[in-house]
Amino acid sequence: MAIRKFRLFLASGLEKEEQWLTAMSAKGLHMKKYKLGFYTFEEDKNKAFVYQIDFQRIATDDYIQLYEDAGWNYVDQSIGLFHYFRTDASNESVPKIYSDYESVVESYKGMLRFYMILFAILLLSQLGGLLTWKWGGLQIFTMSLTGAVVVLYIYMLIALKRKINFYKRN
Amino acid sequence: MKQPEDFLPLSQATYYILLSLRVKRHGYGIMQDVEEISQSEVKMGPGTLYGALGKLEKQQVIQKVTVESDERRKYYDLTELGKQVLQKEYIRLRSLVNNATDIIERLEVEEDGY
Repeated sequence: MAIRKFRLFLASGLEKEEQWLTAMSAKGLHMKKYKLGFYTFEEDKNKAFVYQIDFQRIATDDYIQLYEDAGWNYVDQSIGLFHYFRTDASNESVPKIYSDYESVVESYKGMLRFYMILFAILLLSQLGGLLTWKWGGLQIFTMSLTGAVVVLYIYMLIALKRKINFYKRN
Repeated sequence: MKQPEDFLPLSQATYYILLSLRVKRHGYGIMQDVEEISQSEVKMGPGTLYGALGKLEKQQVIQKVTVESDERRKYYDLTELGKQVLQKEYIRLRSLVNNATDIIERLEVEEDGY
């Protein structure tokens, strides 16, 4: 039986998302699909998987094949950037996707660069609205919405930077 | 053009990847070989390997080799530059060990004395 749940995670909360999916799987609910915050789970009390999410801008066949060869089965992807893999929890010989801190840092740096560019595009796209500012209900509404997104972005970018610094110290 | 010395010192992962690419291999073949030659000291994750391969190929330390019987996997081997990088790193590591040998042996003797 399939069960759907809605959750939102920021890119900087990748590890929390992995932990959540792994904990759900330990309870017998195994994520099979992801779409815009909706996770679809399949129920099977006899299985347990460990989930890992990989940020990769270009996911080619050989990329997925390498992970599969290494024991990480491809589950799904989100916006073509975040790739969900899982492996049997009982299989302890399968190494984590990133086996040293240097590569963890590299992965977070890639994420940070990507979201910095998106953030810059977001700010530039709002310039027009600011330059032709007229006091009005609609404009105040859209601007406060944008403001909330900007705050969220800043929070996420800082969180990503802190993660990079944390793993660099190790 | 970058000189072999410019790549040194290598990270542990890179060093073992280059060692394993003494012959052409695909990603998982590298992982298995690294585990073997490092006597199970290094178990490399696929993400770590995938990132390193992309970077090393861009730096022209390794190159893609086409294997027609296996289209789903990418195969690599060392370039001439890659071989030089590996040799220079080996010489660097060996001299690090050699220079320390006497000192370390004396340290051990002193420790035994107490």
